[in-house]
Amino acid sequence: MIDSQFDLVVIGGGPAGIAATSTAASFGLKVAIIDERATFGGQIFKRLGEGFAIQSPDDLGKDYARGARLIDELDQPRISKFTATTVLTIEANQIITSHPVEGVRSFNPKALVIAPGAYDRPVVFPGWTLPGVMTAGAVQTLVKTQQISPGKRIFFAGSGPLALAFSAQLIKYGAPVFKVIESAPFPSPAKLLGLLSSVNGNWDLAGDALRYRSTLLSKRVPFHYGRIIIKAEGSGRVEEVTHARVDRDWNPIPGTEVVESADTLCLGYGFFPSHELFRLLDCNFDYDETRGGFTVAKDHWGLTESSSPIPIYAVGDGTGVTGSYSAEAQGRLAGLHIANHLGSLSTTERDTQSKGFLKELNQRNKFQRAINKMFEVKQGIYQLADANTVICRCESVKAKEIDPVIDSTCDLSVVKSYSRAGMGLCQARNCQRQIAAMIAKRHDRSISEINFQTPRMPVKPVEIGKIADPSIREEKYFIQ
Amino acid sequence: MSERAPFLVGYLDNETNQSDLPPSSDVVIIGGGLLGTSLAYYLSKSGVETVLIERDDINREASGTNAGSFHFQIALHQLTPNMSESEKRRLADEVRLQVDAASLWDEIEQELDADLGVHFDGGIMVAESDDEMRVLKEKDVIEKEAGLESHILTGDEMRAFAPYLAPDLAGISFCPREGHANSLLVGPTYAYRAWQNGALFRTGCDVTRIERVSGGGDLKGKRFRVITSRGVIECNRVVNATGAWAAELSAQLGLHIPLGLSGLHVNVTEPREYFLKSMIQHIGRRLTLKQTHNNTFIIGGGWPSREEKFPKRYSNTWSSTTGNLAVALRVLPMLADVKLLRTWSGVWAYTKDFKPILGESEKVPGYHIAMVPTGFTLGPMVAQMLSQYMTAAPGKGKLPTEFNIDREVA
Repeated sequence: MIDSQFDLVVIGGGPAGIAATSTAASFGLKVAIIDERATFGGQIFKRLGEGFAIQSPDDLGKDYARGARLIDELDQPRISKFTATTVLTIEANQIITSHPVEGVRSFNPKALVIAPGAYDRPVVFPGWTLPGVMTAGAVQTLVKTQQISPGKRIFFAGSGPLALAFSAQLIKYGAPVFKVIESAPFPSPAKLLGLLSSVNGNWDLAGDALRYRSTLLSKRVPFHYGRIIIKAEGSGRVEEVTHARVDRDWNPIPGTEVVESADTLCLGYGFFPSHELFRLLDCNFDYDETRGGFTVAKDHWGLTESSSPIPIYAVGDGTGVTGSYSAEAQGRLAGLHIANHLGSLSTTERDTQSKGFLKELNQRNKFQRAINKMFEVKQGIYQLADANTVICRCESVKAKEIDPVIDSTCDLSVVKSYSRAGMGLCQARNCQRQIAAMIAKRHDRSISEINFQTPRMPVKPVEIGKIADPSIREEKYFIQ
Repeated sequence: MSERAPFLVGYLDNETNQSDLPPSSDVVIIGGGLLGTSLAYYLSKSGVETVLIERDDINREASGTNAGSFHFQIALHQLTPNMSESEKRRLADEVRLQVDAASLWDEIEQELDADLGVHFDGGIMVAESDDEMRVLKEKDVIEKEAGLESHILTGDEMRAFAPYLAPDLAGISFCPREGHANSLLVGPTYAYRAWQNGALFRTGCDVTRIERVSGGGDLKGKRFRVITSRGVIECNRVVNATGAWAAELSAQLGLHIPLGLSGLHVNVTEPREYFLKSMIQHIGRRLTLKQTHNNTFIIGGGWPSREEKFPKRYSNTWSSTTGNLAVALRVLPMLADVKLLRTWSGVWAYTKDFKPILGESEKVPGYHIAMVPTGFTLGPMVAQMLSQYMTAAPGKGKLPTEFNIDREVA
């Protein structure tokens, strides 16, 4: 079924997608917003489902309230909401989705916003696949909304604002975090000054950071700069973790290892943008390790260059991780540009209305850049595996099985063909960058020069029975 | 067979693959697919000086994107309604060729001393309707005449033999000789063994022009100058093994090779407990389906994909995905809850008569073409035939006349 009634389709119901949707709809456009989850809000404003231990939003703080306000913006008559709906592929102007009950639904709008969000950066080191090693996002969901602690002794390793924010949040909700390590060095006075000069318009975030730090201090949880996780060990699950001091490239310094007993290792090294759909659409990319590596190229309205006949806008953390305030401003700007493009808003009015959001975006991005400078992710993060470390966890392919293939090629698709690394259920989300870094090192290149695997649909696995279509008949095959 | 092929690929390391082209060679093979690599192996095994040039990486196009099936049964695309006796004889000849190829595949893992995932677990061809059943029986007669073992099963006999199939199918034929190999590994392993025999490989090396050196013609004098993105090499003999691109290159020498090109769509699923030993095909619809030894299901059969210009890969379409999967479910309903993981696409090149183009041009002596429409099944055998031709004493080599490369030269 092709749904042709919409002017705009927005993929992704986090802050960026919601802002784009409600802004465009407020100028009279008919908008469909799609999210693969059961509720809108994205990971940051994730709603509580049935059976969740915490039911009062007040217990979840001001972010939850901000999320609720945003989500309420979607209650407009011109907005149609599609939850539990997964985008499988985009062909030209056609967005093809699947729903577990309602099946396949396609859209062919006049414009498309893609706000796919980001996922936890996988960090590969010996023991990273042991039970008890979890990403910050997973631990956050368990602790915050289910009040379940994954362990009795949680070691938190990470970097950037996330390491501080998540660990403090976890502690606040009563999770037994006993130590936090941060890979970046203690901020230098120059970097702190840089941060201060951009704090205007970001007092809320700066205040958050101070509160997080004081939570750690008041609970006497040690926070160490300049250290990285190098190993997790245990029989059947994590029992011990090893961390070490790092040099300026985040390479562990021999002799500085410390072993600690822990039953859970929580990793918060930032996020990777989900860029599969942009790759299918032949968009251009830049590379910025600290914003998550490959980031789709776009102008300040979010407009990209692509092979699609309709304009494709890219907004939010899925286009480079800069946080929820920046994401929201990006969404508003895209919404205004689309309203103008489709003739519902004059250019003058668009430019007037966009001023505030542009200012917001610039201030947020300036602050983010200062923070990124402080916590810049270094290439040492890719050098933690040894020969026996599993790199592709779906197919259980070890580093030593990938190394000989890398000798002869710089092509991730070739590595996949020969070694099976990247062929599994996660569709290479977990291992692709690690392998790219291995290739870069072997051939003395920058990781930004190593191209993706060939993008292929579906971008998420889907049951055959949900999409098979007996009405489609092939051409007759008999030789004519 | 202890050596797994993925560990063999270090042959293209910086020291060899990245160094300059040698100034000359007896034979230059252009194209590092299954034809090119297996030919490099057979030639180098006979001591012929061989350099293989590939613009991308080894085994990247049709050779590595096909599903790795050995198709010996007469398939849908070979059949016509109301076949004449001469057409039936022609089909029987094709079946005999396939049967010959099977014996090469029997021994390939020993020959190359590597595990290439070769299995002869049989192939099932299903018929849905009475009409299709009639065609199935007709082709069965031809196959038996050509010496290919096959069995027709219907009703309870069919359901007992293959209980996983949709019970209401009209019937099946079963050919125990059919099977499959891992198409990702065969070409690279041939290349590795060829390299061990002394053949040289240069990847990322794009041929821009082939020039005939004037005054040549003597086997000892160099007859061709091959100009590439990485330098110039002179040689006595050129083999065009560029598959779907064979016509482009031949046109430079004034040879017209009419090839049809078609993108072929393939689906692969998540793994499930292994149960499907035999490959499944359909006599009336486009379907090939098999469970690999990694337990995933590979589903294809000739659904189209969208043409793209090199280096972009042919792209998959939604209609081919959902149409192909529907045929698969019709035959094997239990796949309904298996997840589709990925699609990919390869390019299929074919001649008008679906026969190989194999041999040396009479118009341009020393210029050879090796191109096979059903390249995976027949490729290594055809390469072996060409190698025998090229290593025979001058004038003594013989190749089947119906593969003659000038037959289609305008």
